[in-house]
Amino acid sequence: MRGYSIYLLGRLSQFVLVVFIGINIAFIVTHATPIDPVEQSIAAATQFGSTNPEAVALMRQSLKELYGLQGGLWDQYVTFWKRVSVGDFGPSLSAFPTPVRVLIARALPWTVGLLLVSTVISWILGNLLGGLAGYYRNNKVLWLAGIVAMAFHPIPYYIVAFVLLILFGFVWPVLPISGGFTMNMKPAFELTFIASLFKHSILPVLSLVLAGLGGWFMGMRSLVSNIVTEDYVTYAELGGVDSRRILASYVMRNALVPQVTGLAMSLGAIFTGAIITEQVFGYPGLGTLLVSAVHAGDYSLVLGITSVSVVAVSVAVLAVDLFYPFLDPRVRTTG
Amino acid sequence: MMFTIFRDLFRSRGAFAAGVVLLAFVLLIAAASLVSPYPPNDSFVVAPDLAPSWPPVLGTTSRGQDVFWQLTFAIRNTLLFGFIVALVSRIIALVVGLVSGYAGGFTDRVLMSINDTFIVIPLFPILVLFYFVMRERMSWTLLALAMACLGWAYDARLIRSLAMSLRTREFTDTALFSGMNTRQILTQEHMPYVLPIVFSTTMNNINWSIGLEVTLSVLGFTDINTPTIGVMIYWANQHTAMVAGIWWWIFFPVLLVVITFIGLFLLAVSMNEYIDPRSRLSRVAT
Amino acid sequence: MRVWRIIAVVTLALIGTVSVHAEESVSDLPRNETLIVENPEGTIKNAGWFNIWAINAGGQSTGLHQLALDTFWFIDPERGLDGIWDNSLAADKPLYNADFTRMTVQLRKGIYWSDGIEFSADDVVYTIQTHLKTNGLRWSAPIQINVDSISAADRYTVVFKLKKPNSRFHALFTVRWNAMWMMPKHVFEKAGDPLRFAFDPPVTLGAYVLHGYDPNGKWFIWKLRGDWQRTSIGRFGKPGPKYVVYLDPGPPDKRVIAQLNHQLDIVHDTSPEGMFTLVKQSKSSHGWFKAFPYAHPDPTLPAVIFNHQLDLFKNRDVRWALALLIDIRAVSLASYRGAATISAIGVPPTGSHPEVYHAPLEGWLREFELDTGKRRIRPYEPAVGRQIAEMNRAAMGDQIPADPIQIARAFGSGWWKADPQAAQELLEKAGFAKRADKWVTPDGKPFSIRIMVEGESRPVMTRAGSMIAQQWRQFGIDASTVVAQGNMFDRRNAGDFEVFIGWSVETWGGHPDLSFFLDSWHSQFVVPPGKPQPPRNWQRWSHPDLDRIIDRIRKTAFDDPRGLELGREYVKLTVREMPTIPLMSYNVFTAVDETHWTGYPSAEQPYANPVPNWANSRYMMVRLKPRQ
Repeated sequence: MRGYSIYLLGRLSQFVLVVFIGINIAFIVTHATPIDPVEQSIAAATQFGSTNPEAVALMRQSLKELYGLQGGLWDQYVTFWKRVSVGDFGPSLSAFPTPVRVLIARALPWTVGLLLVSTVISWILGNLLGGLAGYYRNNKVLWLAGIVAMAFHPIPYYIVAFVLLILFGFVWPVLPISGGFTMNMKPAFELTFIASLFKHSILPVLSLVLAGLGGWFMGMRSLVSNIVTEDYVTYAELGGVDSRRILASYVMRNALVPQVTGLAMSLGAIFTGAIITEQVFGYPGLGTLLVSAVHAGDYSLVLGITSVSVVAVSVAVLAVDLFYPFLDPRVRTTG
Repeated sequence: MMFTIFRDLFRSRGAFAAGVVLLAFVLLIAAASLVSPYPPNDSFVVAPDLAPSWPPVLGTTSRGQDVFWQLTFAIRNTLLFGFIVALVSRIIALVVGLVSGYAGGFTDRVLMSINDTFIVIPLFPILVLFYFVMRERMSWTLLALAMACLGWAYDARLIRSLAMSLRTREFTDTALFSGMNTRQILTQEHMPYVLPIVFSTTMNNINWSIGLEVTLSVLGFTDINTPTIGVMIYWANQHTAMVAGIWWWIFFPVLLVVITFIGLFLLAVSMNEYIDPRSRLSRVAT
Repeated sequence: MRVWRIIAVVTLALIGTVSVHAEESVSDLPRNETLIVENPEGTIKNAGWFNIWAINAGGQSTGLHQLALDTFWFIDPERGLDGIWDNSLAADKPLYNADFTRMTVQLRKGIYWSDGIEFSADDVVYTIQTHLKTNGLRWSAPIQINVDSISAADRYTVVFKLKKPNSRFHALFTVRWNAMWMMPKHVFEKAGDPLRFAFDPPVTLGAYVLHGYDPNGKWFIWKLRGDWQRTSIGRFGKPGPKYVVYLDPGPPDKRVIAQLNHQLDIVHDTSPEGMFTLVKQSKSSHGWFKAFPYAHPDPTLPAVIFNHQLDLFKNRDVRWALALLIDIRAVSLASYRGAATISAIGVPPTGSHPEVYHAPLEGWLREFELDTGKRRIRPYEPAVGRQIAEMNRAAMGDQIPADPIQIARAFGSGWWKADPQAAQELLEKAGFAKRADKWVTPDGKPFSIRIMVEGESRPVMTRAGSMIAQQWRQFGIDASTVVAQGNMFDRRNAGDFEVFIGWSVETWGGHPDLSFFLDSWHSQFVVPPGKPQPPRNWQRWSHPDLDRIIDRIRKTAFDDPRGLELGREYVKLTVREMPTIPLMSYNVFTAVDETHWTGYPSAEQPYANPVPNWANSRYMMVRLKPRQ
């Protein structure tokens, strides 16, 4: 166990280092944007009106002070880390003075809920079908399912989402195509709200599952078809073990190991949001927030969202590394 | 048993043949761009919104362009783009993954830290920033290189985990004891096991880069002067083609992408079976 | 296999929970009492913020400034319910002293806030004083620059003392899309820092109160006040809709689908193709014009805007040459599919302007002569509007009006005739030369132009830019478009462009006074290269004749007919100098659905502006009646 503790320590320090570097890169990237939040605010405020040019100059000065953009880059960097250490990302520059943390907290549950459900469903379905297809090579139905999964996989997600929208929102309008829940409903722990939540999530989840299924399917199938030729499988078959048992305990169990890695990574990537899904289905979440923040040059908000995603993905990668030895006994850390 | 092997072989050769045919078809269309009667960026050179018929075999767009000739340029640019991204990122992923998985220890730790940083970097803000900074000087090759640099990390990890499990296998020790150096072991012993994974990740990578290109185009962060599949969808969107009933503007580019992918897949699957030492053995036996 | 059975059962269960109704009801509000409108702001980041006086902290056109707020005067971009000018919170027009340093406003009596307190001079004084002492509010800057002090002469009269003469100070309180709104003193004085107060729920002065909103910012529901007669708009009658919903309907395709499903009554804007689809597939949908071109022309003028601080465009002959290379008929087809109202002069062809500017100057335009260096030509072609109408007749049939007056109204009158020969002569006069099919500048460098366009967010303008680049390219100039996706404002303000498609001309619409934009074109406001240019002189053009015109306008009262003459002088100057190449009006494809509501304003009944994000669109509410 001592070898593992050393490995753990090393791995944890790697984690901290990566998070630190990642957030720093995010800081540089967001502050290097040529979009000036003050100019964006002014443009939005004077867009339709008839504003005296002198007034605009005065406005610019006031906004710079208000948004705290007076100091140089180093000052802003120091302020940023001071704030982050207490979990505060500062006020949003395009929705001043609402704190970034509040905006993210509002959108986060939607993104996490949607993507968690979709990722897990497509993982389970994809691996199940892929495993079966890889093992029962001669089954026509599974072979056909493989072709269908393959055909769907490369279709750009935007098209898949939109076609579903048109099919179920227009041609056969049975499902709602906008929003996270019915309009004029107050979010509460009642059956009507939960039913509405469920109905509004069907199309987004369906589109994400259809888009993600193919990848898991093909990965699992190729892994399984590799394992099927292993000696121990042939031995078990010859030994008369029930084929379903072979599939479950021998083949899938081993094939799933890299797929679990993939799942952890995908779960970490959830926090980048599903921008196209939110756009097409009008679904609330981090994606829309991120895009509108980028357009408004709102450094604080973009930085907040990307920091959350950096931490989430790092945790996922860490978790994979720490648990991989337990999943695959062949890989043990040497002392 | 013999019958099963025969059938597998047939199927794999059939898959190979089918894959070659599909890809050749796609490449032919891409090559047709060299003889296009219309310059790729001009609009209103034919009557707009015509349904597929003769001569506009795939119809015309709302911008007055022939869908077929646009598609030749689009698929050519998209394939070039996907190919560059895949090639560059595979090379990086292979090198990093194999070295890291085999060497272990400090090298592994350093390489994985770099790798993790690349995995962790938020893709979208970086690409958007890249787009803003490059602006007029932005070219598809530059974007391809940028995406290649961002797309190797995940696959490197995959290769690394495979390399790690290969290292513990008996034949590795055998090779080591028989005096092969690291480079020889990596290229001659491990590569054949790794290549099938590399092929399937290549396909995924091409798919990913095309998907990302389409996403960026749909959101508008793109150079609209060069036709690619993503740019075609961008323009179709601008003209609300789906709702206006101009389905051919979207259907044919998507169909071509699907054909490309299926072709690549068939090729990859049949080549996997050919290269994988274990299936080779099972074919030789009896 | 067991697995398949489980999957089948789960799928069936899922399908079972989904109800199979043809028209899924979108909420539980009674549909025949609810008006559903698009808010082009999209999803509001910070939905629970209704303090419009803080800059961009929350949404504006979520129904907030259309239904809940009020100020002194409204100028209608169209004809108005009772004339273009409406005294809303004011009882009468502004009263200036002789040298425009004092403005007195009589307030209307009997207007009440939604919580029962009466609106009075106290609110006005509080609003102005708050803006005087607080920096960073939306109207702090113009108030601090103009106002010396404010006082209440009595409960319903306020007097503004100005720091310097300003004959158009009242424009700050005159709604053209928006204006400075009045704050409720009794709420804000208890709220602390006005920059950090959310004002949720808002206490309203308009005829509606907030009924509910989506915490994710996708919809806002307003309900008619029980005491609607105690608001300014109550003078015109009871507003028809009991509930008004402003929502984010998503991408343009989706808006079309929503209206076809009869779940969206007013679409703010969609693509031209989307509009054609709506009109073709739904008998109850129509635009501002019942026939082609359907769209409502906003009092905004998209044009090709040159950067006058670049040497390339300093020569007037070069600008004219580039203008003569544009075939506006192709640009109209490429951008609006022909549904454009063209304008050759620097005034939008909408509202009152065709009568005041376009028609009277038609004769002058026909006679206008240009010296190309080799000959004198008359570049104006009066029949272009009719030609575009004819070009569309083939595809659209009887959707195209036949009456010449209607055609002029819908498509515009004339434009410059595309004349590559004259363009060549002008360029050669300016020192340019053509070498082997490509043009070079007098310095010997290749003549290249990058046209900046806005991309996704402004698709029609992007298409226009692409077509213009193509036309210049076909002539031998190295022209192409560059998309300023997301950073158009920054680049435009900073002067970081060669040419862009946008607008530097915006007017009142209903009222012919041009000072709305023209005042800012004075050379005193042009900044050196590298500094941000204040709106609206994006082209950074200055000319002594222009300054003379502007100075005289400043000394003329708002309604003085002499102002119209000055406006026409401006038009003639800009034709001669061509500082920008005016193209067409900004056509908004506002589509209305008559399934649940009727009485919308239209070209036949232009009593209001239907474009729903304008605060002026509130006048629609009193005329809308439920179907059945």
